[in-house]
Amino acid sequence: MVPLENYLVLSAIVFSLGVYGVLARRNAVLILMSVELMLNAVSLNFVAFAAYLDPDRIAGAIFAIFVITVAAAEVGLALAIVIRLFRNRSTSNVDEAAIMKW
Amino acid sequence: MGAEQAWLLAAIPAGMFVVLALVGRKLPRGGDYLGILAIGTSFVLSFFVLADLLGTEDKLGPITRAIDWTQIGNFQLRMGTFVDPITVVMFGVITTVSLMVNIFSVGYMKGEPRYWWFFAVLQLFAASMLLLVMADNLLLLYISWELVGVCSFLLIGFYWEKRSATEAAKKAFITTRIGDVGLLIGIILLWREAGTFNIHEIISYAEGGHFSSTYLFVSMCFVFLGAMGKSAQAPFHVWLPDAMEGPTPVSALIHAATMVVAGVYLTARLLPVFEVADGTTLIITIVGLVTAVLTAFMAFAQTDIKKVLAYSTVGQLGFMFVALGSGNPSAAMFHLMTHAFFKALLFLGSGSVIVATHHNQDMSKLGGMWKKLPVTGTTFLIGSAALAGVVPLAGFWSKDEVLHSANTEWGVWALAIAGGAAVMTAFYTTRLFIRTFMGEPRDAHVYEQTKEPGWVMTGPLVFLAFLAVVSGLVVFHGVGKALGFPGGVTEFVFLEEAERYSIDWGLAALSLLISATGIGIGAWMYWGNSTRRSTSLATSYPRTYDALRNKFYFDEAYQWCIDRGLLGFSFLVSWFDRYIVNDTGVDGTAQVTGFSGYTLKFLQSGKLPNYAMGIALGVVVLAFAGILVRG
Amino acid sequence: MATEVLWWIFATAIVAASAGVVLSRSIIHSAIFLIGSLAGVGAMYVFLTVEFLALVQFLIYGGAVTVLILLALMLTRMGVTGLPEKVNGPQAPFAALVGVALLSILVYAAAATTWPNNLTDKPFAISIETISEKLFVDYGAPFVIASALLLVALVGAIILARQEEGE
Repeated sequence: MVPLENYLVLSAIVFSLGVYGVLARRNAVLILMSVELMLNAVSLNFVAFAAYLDPDRIAGAIFAIFVITVAAAEVGLALAIVIRLFRNRSTSNVDEAAIMKW
Repeated sequence: MGAEQAWLLAAIPAGMFVVLALVGRKLPRGGDYLGILAIGTSFVLSFFVLADLLGTEDKLGPITRAIDWTQIGNFQLRMGTFVDPITVVMFGVITTVSLMVNIFSVGYMKGEPRYWWFFAVLQLFAASMLLLVMADNLLLLYISWELVGVCSFLLIGFYWEKRSATEAAKKAFITTRIGDVGLLIGIILLWREAGTFNIHEIISYAEGGHFSSTYLFVSMCFVFLGAMGKSAQAPFHVWLPDAMEGPTPVSALIHAATMVVAGVYLTARLLPVFEVADGTTLIITIVGLVTAVLTAFMAFAQTDIKKVLAYSTVGQLGFMFVALGSGNPSAAMFHLMTHAFFKALLFLGSGSVIVATHHNQDMSKLGGMWKKLPVTGTTFLIGSAALAGVVPLAGFWSKDEVLHSANTEWGVWALAIAGGAAVMTAFYTTRLFIRTFMGEPRDAHVYEQTKEPGWVMTGPLVFLAFLAVVSGLVVFHGVGKALGFPGGVTEFVFLEEAERYSIDWGLAALSLLISATGIGIGAWMYWGNSTRRSTSLATSYPRTYDALRNKFYFDEAYQWCIDRGLLGFSFLVSWFDRYIVNDTGVDGTAQVTGFSGYTLKFLQSGKLPNYAMGIALGVVVLAFAGILVRG
Repeated sequence: MATEVLWWIFATAIVAASAGVVLSRSIIHSAIFLIGSLAGVGAMYVFLTVEFLALVQFLIYGGAVTVLILLALMLTRMGVTGLPEKVNGPQAPFAALVGVALLSILVYAAAATTWPNNLTDKPFAISIETISEKLFVDYGAPFVIASALLLVALVGAIILARQEEGE
């Protein structure tokens, strides 16, 4: 099978893509999708560690379960906020929700 | 009641001060009887202390009592009282003169505003002075030293409606302050080496040779500065004549008999240490001689009665320092005691004249008062004779002692200078008496209104005159033994000095000659109270006369120093404070903060991607740093 | 050997799909690419012998989360017109720099560390009994708290998104 580093590099690539997405995209939902990507990459990382390094304490896999749970909850809430934002401002561009500034 | 309760002597007047300060205004007669009661109690208690001291075994005292005051680190501070023969002599002087002044003030201060406050501060003064002489450590001494300075300030400036009085009070306080700083530095230096404030531990430490000699010399010079300031020795003498702005009883008490002798007391207490430090005794003697001569000259040209007496006080203090510098503290303390009595008498007498003539102090308006003020005149005569050193009054014996010790220790030159000062003292005293009491009155209007004051003022005069006559006689062994002092008074005051005392008849004759010379010149010049001879002398030497009248321009010199030096320096300091501390420091800091806030606010763009970028950048930087650190 | 090739295929697919999510010009396309990426990661879990987690991944992510996202897209009428919108914000170049920097740091960290216990390049097998035992016994408390979290999130989302009178 493949060595551990492969998994790590894979998750690093996905994570960086997610970071790019969060910083570069204008649409709120797109940003959310990039956040999902990041969370995914992290879970993959955890499970890879658990499987390769420490089979007795598979905390990594458990952690991944919880990450999925929390991500789901977070998506729900974030989308509710986006819908609210859309209703107030008729736009879902995060650039335009910038009143809290100097 | 014994010497261990000596602290009561100070505590009773102090308590009375608090009472009078709080409720004196509302009491009938302003509470003056309470003040007299407090001082009278201390006066009586001082006899008990004396009896207790005499009752100890052959070594007279000292009797101490101390309490633990505080502990700082390893240093344990104890405060307490110390009673030995010097202390008891001072007790006697202070309480006697205070009592006489308190009684006199009932008459003198009648009708003055703030009558009650006068008596209150008199009590505080007596308490602080008594505390000063029984303090067993330098810290307590310094505290009471400052307290007496405060009382002097309050009392000189008693008539604070008068601008000159407030100026005089300030001048007194500031001048003595300069000396006090020296004293504080000296105390700290001594403590630093000896590790203690206790006077007797310091003395034994010094006698054990543990101080290095330059260090000790410097410290004792600083301590002597304090004595010079408080006792108005040159060049600190400028405050005492101005202090005559205060009421005359104050001048009698503080500026003749008690506060100004605090410097003499301090030097006498620490004399063993002065003797270990080489050179300090010579300095003390020279300061005393210079002051005595200088102020005698200045007294020639004064026309105000009180100012003449003030200069005379400074000169006599100089004599006491000469005696101390010659290693004879018993002579100094003896002269202190006799001087206190006759100088207080002279001041109170002049106060009587002032009240009688409705506040006229200028000699050029007085004259021929003898007929109108018989009691005052007689007592004043006794006091003047004592001051001039006429036998067998007290001043003769004590002045003789001073001359004798100067001659023994330092030789003929010291004797000559001191003797010269004594001649001048006799001269101006005669001048004072003749111009005030003898001859024809100068101002008829003033003469008409003069009336002898009542017994409340003349009573103390009589008592003090009695003391001025007899107190000199205790110098004889027989008298001393009769009064209960074993071995006579000189052995009482300072045990080791008993051998030093012996009447040198040759010197006694010399002192008699000195007094006679001074009196003779004075009488010749002012015979019949005419100023014809003195005025012609003055016009022949105008510049000398001006220098004398302006007190050798000391005050002008000091004022110039203050104007140029002190105010110039304060201009620098104020510049620094305004431009550097305020504009740059305070305002500058605020402006930097404001400016940075103004520029940094643009970071708050309100846009979500910007904030996310911030987070991401932070993570990258931290990760990078982590890699660098961990390798 | 075959598994290795399969692994590489899946890895490439994941990377391509993720790139598609963040680089696509159409929002709907990004959503579809997201599904693909999530599915690929699920396959990875199978390779790592935690099939249970793969199942959970497919169900939750593929089922619930993407549906939610598509629903939100429809409710806010994004991408409905079909025209390419300007999807990239003004700081896209800096974002690329940051992403590249992060990637290089992570890759360096992964490559330069010596990982212990890994001599055979083979993952240990993880059984579902182990998972369940750990989940319900050792980590029981977080499990219950996570359930509570879900409930709270549900209620919160409802409150946030409901329409009020007059809107």
